[in-house]
Amino acid sequence: MSPVEGDVASGTAPLAIHAEGLGRDYGTTRALDALDLQVPAGSLIGLVGPNGAGKTTAMLLLATLLGPSRGRAWVFGQDVTRERVAVRRRLGLVFQEPSVDGLLSVEENLLFAGRLAGLGGSAVRAAVGRTMARTGLGARAGEPTRQLSGGWRRLADIARATLHRPDLLILDEPTVGLDPEHRDRMWGLLDAERRERGATILFSTHYLSEADPADRVVMLARGAVVADAPPAALRAGVGEQVAEIDGPGADTLVAELRAAGLVVMAHRAERGWRVGLSGARERVTELAGAATGIARLALRPPTLEDVYFARTQAPVAT
Amino acid sequence: MSALATVRGIVVRDLIRTTRQKSRLVAGLARPFIWVFLVGAGFNAIARLEGGLSYQAFAYPGGIVMAALFGGMLTAISTVYDREFGMLRLMLASPSGVGAVLAGRTLSATIIGGVQGGIVLACASLAVRLTLPQYAAAAAALVLASLTSATLGLLVAARLTSVENFGGVINIVLFPLLFVSGALYPTAGMPGPLRTLARVNPVTYMVDLIRHTFGQPAEFALALDVGALVIAAVAAFGLTAVLFDPEQRFVGRKPAADSRQPMANG
Repeated sequence: MSPVEGDVASGTAPLAIHAEGLGRDYGTTRALDALDLQVPAGSLIGLVGPNGAGKTTAMLLLATLLGPSRGRAWVFGQDVTRERVAVRRRLGLVFQEPSVDGLLSVEENLLFAGRLAGLGGSAVRAAVGRTMARTGLGARAGEPTRQLSGGWRRLADIARATLHRPDLLILDEPTVGLDPEHRDRMWGLLDAERRERGATILFSTHYLSEADPADRVVMLARGAVVADAPPAALRAGVGEQVAEIDGPGADTLVAELRAAGLVVMAHRAERGWRVGLSGARERVTELAGAATGIARLALRPPTLEDVYFARTQAPVAT
Repeated sequence: MSALATVRGIVVRDLIRTTRQKSRLVAGLARPFIWVFLVGAGFNAIARLEGGLSYQAFAYPGGIVMAALFGGMLTAISTVYDREFGMLRLMLASPSGVGAVLAGRTLSATIIGGVQGGIVLACASLAVRLTLPQYAAAAAALVLASLTSATLGLLVAARLTSVENFGGVINIVLFPLLFVSGALYPTAGMPGPLRTLARVNPVTYMVDLIRHTFGQPAEFALALDVGALVIAAVAAFGLTAVLFDPEQRFVGRKPAADSRQPMANG
């Protein structure tokens, strides 16, 4: 039974993405083990994880550009291996590197993309005009894209991916190399896609603060899902506060915090310990105050970066 | 309709790209003229050809094919650039599928090869006398030659993984196809093994077909030339469809057969 049949039977909204044990091997390398994912239509989902975790592979599988080695997946109820054409009609894709032709102008690139999406005649010209007005690219319509800055080239890429008003946008690290102004502009465009058309967005990023506004964050590590929850729930899972501890006495202090039952997670990195804590703040400061050899101690609210280290890195014993 | 829009998109893009790569255009057109008028001027004095033809008149059909072959094949082989620089994945994500992508690239390469060969044909009066019907017949033959060149280029691109191999392709594919074809000298004078190669070389039939339309002595019957080119074009396109790996852009190839790795970070 496909997810659509199930959804209709239960009276719930159709899922934009439904993956069951979806995996892909490259020879003997298991790039993606078994992805289980359910994404309601209209959601904003962040996919995060270390390099090589399987994010790009998962996205390519959902985008019908790779065939799975195991498992199945549906996009709006359509099978990504058996109904590729139907799936592609509803997809907008942004890859890690901008997919725009440097020899073509912005407008020519958009016309090319529109025709690839199956738009012909006046429909493609109308879509390009609408998209350029919406994205602010109209003033640069005639410029060869190779003359644009990286930020404008990426915006042209986003314009290309949204030109045909796809129901599902899959974006693989869309903000890599962008300055804050262009990142903000890009997210503004994507927000409008959700707000005005109810588009579903699945994006990957290494900038974890970008995943904060997501409805859910899915963390991948070594080809498997290690966390899947709203950002607030994920942050709560690493403790009420996080201590950053560095110095020769850091190991001892972490051990004492552990012995006191205050540690939810502990991760040792190059720049010292990152320790998720729960319990009375006074007890923490008391232990820290008595410790020696501490060069740096900072207490702060947990972030998704803390969750990332807690969930994607191997645990460290003190 | 969706597939037609995709084909049109690919053709329009390729034509725009070609007009903006002026040095490539000039080089593609200069090559046959250099051969016919510079090299050919010297060969005129020493070549003794059937029917009292001057070498330049003899080489002119070969010059037309040279322009069409390089224009058509190199445009088709540019698929490798698209694969390496990310445009091919965009095309492969189209709802129209791989067939429309291959058809679009074949059509654009045919047009570009045909136009380049057509410019050389339009200048034919510099070396040969042709009637209007002969020009028309040669133009029709040129379309078939360009189509076959395009499909051969696509076949080369089907399994070519890197643009680093591009120069090598010109040296080990295009030049041998041209040299062992009767374009620049009669196949009758070739050593036995080369003559055998010439008989299985589609370019031989392109040149021979143009010779028919020019009213020059030809090696094969007109129907054989047309048949051979149609078969070559259909076979090359069919083989490309089989060999073309849509996943190749996303999966790097390493020496061991089973060590394919994802190219992107995640």
